[in-house]
Amino acid sequence: MTIAFPDAAFAPATDTPLILALPKGRILKECAPLLARAGIHRSPDWPHPSWENEDSRHLRFPTDDPRLDVVRVRSFDVATFVAFGAAHIGICGNDVLMEFDYPEIYAPLDLGIGACRVSVAEPRATSGSDDPREWSRVRVASKYPNIARRHFASRGVQAEIVHLNGAMELAPALGLTRLIVDLVATGSTLKANGLVETEVIAKVTSRLIVNRTALKTQPEAIGAWIARFRAALQA
Amino acid sequence: MTDDPPPNPALLPAGLHDLLPPEAETEAASVAALMDGFASHGYQRVKPPLLEFEDSLLAASGAAMSDQTFRLMDPDTRRMMAVRADMTPQVARIATTRLAHAPRPLRLSYAGQCLRVQGGQTAPDRQIAQAGIELIGHDSPEADAEIVLVGVAALHAVGLTRISIDLTLPLLVPTLLDESGFTGEARARLARALDRKDAAAVTERAGPLAATLTDLLLAAGAADGALAALAAAALTPGARAHADRLAATVAAIRARAPGLKLTIDPVEFRGLRYHTGVCMTFYAPDRHLELGRGGRYICGETEPATGLTLFPDAVLLAAPRREARRRLYVPLNTAPAAAAALRAQGWATVGGLDPAADPFAAARLAGCTHLLDGIAPVALQPE
Repeated sequence: MTIAFPDAAFAPATDTPLILALPKGRILKECAPLLARAGIHRSPDWPHPSWENEDSRHLRFPTDDPRLDVVRVRSFDVATFVAFGAAHIGICGNDVLMEFDYPEIYAPLDLGIGACRVSVAEPRATSGSDDPREWSRVRVASKYPNIARRHFASRGVQAEIVHLNGAMELAPALGLTRLIVDLVATGSTLKANGLVETEVIAKVTSRLIVNRTALKTQPEAIGAWIARFRAALQA
Repeated sequence: MTDDPPPNPALLPAGLHDLLPPEAETEAASVAALMDGFASHGYQRVKPPLLEFEDSLLAASGAAMSDQTFRLMDPDTRRMMAVRADMTPQVARIATTRLAHAPRPLRLSYAGQCLRVQGGQTAPDRQIAQAGIELIGHDSPEADAEIVLVGVAALHAVGLTRISIDLTLPLLVPTLLDESGFTGEARARLARALDRKDAAAVTERAGPLAATLTDLLLAAGAADGALAALAAAALTPGARAHADRLAATVAAIRARAPGLKLTIDPVEFRGLRYHTGVCMTFYAPDRHLELGRGGRYICGETEPATGLTLFPDAVLLAAPRREARRRLYVPLNTAPAAAAALRAQGWATVGGLDPAADPFAAARLAGCTHLLDGIAPVALQPE
């Protein structure tokens, strides 16, 4: 069986720039040197502040490479943009990846920055007052409802999640929940609020993530960026 | 008692939608074009029903869709019935029962709608159109290549010329893990890390396989590079057999369509759980869409088979827009033969039901682009 295909069938995909999604805040600062080593610089023709300036009102920034643009969004949204293919590559913590668990996201590189952990914490006063092995149900405040639910479910405990977006540390003191599941970097916020870290659910670092379909359909372009980031890590 | 406003009658359950003119017609036409492409390569159409008894629909290869299947009780037999979530198991059932006596290889095609309990995270549709082919009773790289090329030809018939095909081996990684002695939770955790291409977690969990798996993880991409990485990798015998078969399939495809854009993802083992050999996913690169999926499986108990399912909804989004049929307003009391002659030339004629004082206005109201003025169509002036 032979089929004749016109040459047009094999034309390369259109040449629109790839989009790199970067998270606002702490991780953005930490990844600046890495971006520079990977050869991602602000566009010399861009008259406004670049993505590194948190006060900039712009959301999308050209780079010195016409085939790459940067968008700056909240870290949870980096994963969403990349999962839906609105951005092709991105940088975000594996806490976000664990929470959303998007099958469309691949995480080919550990960038080793933004190190912290997702942990369970509770008031110093109640810690150790009973045996967690006997729990059948707990109430947990978290901005990671899925991570928290899965973590307790794997131990056979049903977690009732109170979904908060910030100030988790207040929840135990005000009687909202006994436990919290939150990101812990140094532990000083927990300490200041009379909480102790009782269990580490996962260690967190930032990952380079790519959209699955983009990797399959533009393997050369996406692969080249992964290779540049890998080289930058080893530099 | 609360006084909630009544629900809006236009609201449909999540993941379901209406198709309106002209998309509904375009959809039907593109399914017809795909099916015609299959038929012209000798694939004969079958039409299984929407519902079957649960135990036959979900037997064998159907089991993979069990948790995505709607069920209802048959008031007649009191047995559970299931709405198909995928048509391949139905075609496999036909091949192993009613067509068990038919000579092999058996080439069948089908088109229809499927229903799933839940949409995906990024694609919420619960009603999914499928149009596909199955090649049953032949286990060879040539059969794998035929499925790929017939799929490409069918897509070409609807104007989709830019296609990228990703080939995978869903059993390569599981075989490698089994043969390397991974079991239980360690195996599950490693498999999950591989599924998400989480290089950090793979390195942490793969032990002695870390280097091999990391190399394969990074080899995903253009077919030649990935095949070279597979050839160089330290594989166990079973895994090596899978890799060799993939190389033979690529060679068979290349021999027939040298310029086809092929990528390989050696560690991907995602997809329908019944696949046992070379699998393929068709993409429309510039539209970021999955156009279809397929691969090798076991039909019934023992029969080798391979197939491909195209997703007409995605095909419709990716394909260039078809030119809509031109609509011609035919005023009341026009000779029927005049309208019939124009229909034969491809016009859609819209007959006037009232004598119109201003036929141009009536034509515009009826969504027409032209008016039959006496004997010839006259284009309406834009307002």
